[in-house]
Amino acid sequence: MAATPNVAPAQADPAVPWSRRRAHRRSGWRPRLGYRGQLLLLLTPYLLGMTALVWLPALLGLPLAFADYSLLEPPRFVGLANFRELAGDEIFHTAIFNSAFYVALAVPLRLLGAAALALLLFRPLRGGGLYRAAVYLPTVVPDLAWALLWLWLLNPIYGPVNQLLALVGLPGPAWMVDEWGARFAVVLMMSWQIGEGLIICLAALGDVPEEVLAQSAVDGATPWQTLARVTLPLLAPVLLILLMRDTIFSLQANFVPALILGRGGGPNYATTFLPMYVYTQAFDYLRFGYAAAMTWAMYGLTALLLLAQYRVAARWRLGFRDAE
Amino acid sequence: MTVPAEGQWRRPGRLRRRVGDGWRHAVALPIAALFLLPLAWLVATSLREGGRPPARRLEWVPDPISWANYPAVFDALPILTFAANSLLVAAIAVPVTVLVASWAGFAMAQLPGLWRWRLAALSFAALMVPVTAVWVPRFALFRAAGLVDTPWALIAPAAMGTSPTFALLFLWTFLRVPPAIYEAARLDGAGALRLWAGIAMPLARPTAVAVAVLAFGDYWSNFVDPLLYIQSTEKQTLPLALRALNELGRTDWPKLMAGVTLLTLPLVGVFLVAQRAFLRQVRDER
Repeated sequence: MAATPNVAPAQADPAVPWSRRRAHRRSGWRPRLGYRGQLLLLLTPYLLGMTALVWLPALLGLPLAFADYSLLEPPRFVGLANFRELAGDEIFHTAIFNSAFYVALAVPLRLLGAAALALLLFRPLRGGGLYRAAVYLPTVVPDLAWALLWLWLLNPIYGPVNQLLALVGLPGPAWMVDEWGARFAVVLMMSWQIGEGLIICLAALGDVPEEVLAQSAVDGATPWQTLARVTLPLLAPVLLILLMRDTIFSLQANFVPALILGRGGGPNYATTFLPMYVYTQAFDYLRFGYAAAMTWAMYGLTALLLLAQYRVAARWRLGFRDAE
Repeated sequence: MTVPAEGQWRRPGRLRRRVGDGWRHAVALPIAALFLLPLAWLVATSLREGGRPPARRLEWVPDPISWANYPAVFDALPILTFAANSLLVAAIAVPVTVLVASWAGFAMAQLPGLWRWRLAALSFAALMVPVTAVWVPRFALFRAAGLVDTPWALIAPAAMGTSPTFALLFLWTFLRVPPAIYEAARLDGAGALRLWAGIAMPLARPTAVAVAVLAFGDYWSNFVDPLLYIQSTEKQTLPLALRALNELGRTDWPKLMAGVTLLTLPLVGVFLVAQRAFLRQVRDER
């Protein structure tokens, strides 16, 4: 994700004299496990931690969806009741719409922004480091701080954004007071935090062989042709991974804006995204079973979106291969 | 990577290169300004004199500049206690994260191909599990383990290297080390731990720095976990304190922005110090 580590070819250890090597072997440090056993040992904390913190909770969530569970009493099996209730829950339908709308708008914006900025900044430029740092900086701001900041920036009357718009003579939207204003506000604020996408694209562009670009220029291709026929196709696999990653991220990451900017998912449920509604049901109403059922709906939506993206991308790449 | 000086493949040479660069500056400068705009407003608002009604017109620099909002944040809440809690969590979680993630990455890089890709696929799959999916069961597990309302509930993710991303990042780094380097040391009878400490980690220093900085950001910024797992006020971390500040006075924007600045500043500082480990893909010197 981050840094391209410039691995300098290290020098091999200077040859150790035989006598010392022998002594070392006899000193009892020699491990009893085989090398692979030692590697597995190094892997153990990671695998155990992942099991305890991701796989076990994810598996526990499965049966919970078929139960009524408030944490105060043991879970009670209720069959498909939670899912039946979900089917008729209008707020849940709104939440699915909100999440889908957010993903449909925010993901392409963030991806295009990151890719375009990387194309602008990947070649050497005097002061280029400052530009890259400036674009990355909003990404380091904690999500809660970012949400509180935008709560002020988007204040309909006094907020700097609307005052700036007024300066230019444009009417400012009512942002968090208006349903559609609120939906766009969350997309807007998340479009600033694209530093990780930028880094990934910069790293990917760094791996494009320079001879290929040079050859394209020698062949008389205009910069646009080079971009469309050479750079973008080479970048495509990374863009696909980034697209999937950002889709997953976007389905989850709007919880804090919804809680802070939307004051718990408002106005009129316009920022009640799926994570917000899961949180409300679980931790405000202690309906953990119902929340778990919703979580499964989220899995489903995530998987569906990823599959669709993969399908489209596969076809798109095949098209490129035909063109060659 | 190295990028060729543009002159190498763009014939007309210097003049055109200058013109080309000028065009890029003309695009990049406003974009950089746009990205910094929210942060400029943040600092400007935090320096506005408290207690006055908000400005009717856009103020780029408040007049007069007042630093009083910063001490006011410390008066309103026991910020130092919360900061100490946040630092305690980060101080344990960040080194553990680097250790666990680099061990995992190293082991994956050294295992035979099939196992390596299986483990990498498992890591990718773990990345896809929505965080909301684990909130509820994790809460139940933490409660059963007696971790709820202790800092350990916040430190726990370090046990898996915080995020599979970090282990994969180390894997990617270690795969770039020529295998011959390890072979020589293995012939010398070095075990896996010695190879990791003596050869792999020194070569992977930029990655280790990047992972440490990103992990510090994760723990310092973490708002949802303490919201879910910490109940006592005196055990809360900084982000929750900031939220309390918002709830205390919903119209005292300068004070709230001072609090936001205080929470953000350490991360900006860490990023600026470590940015070479992040943004070193491009060499700008000519």
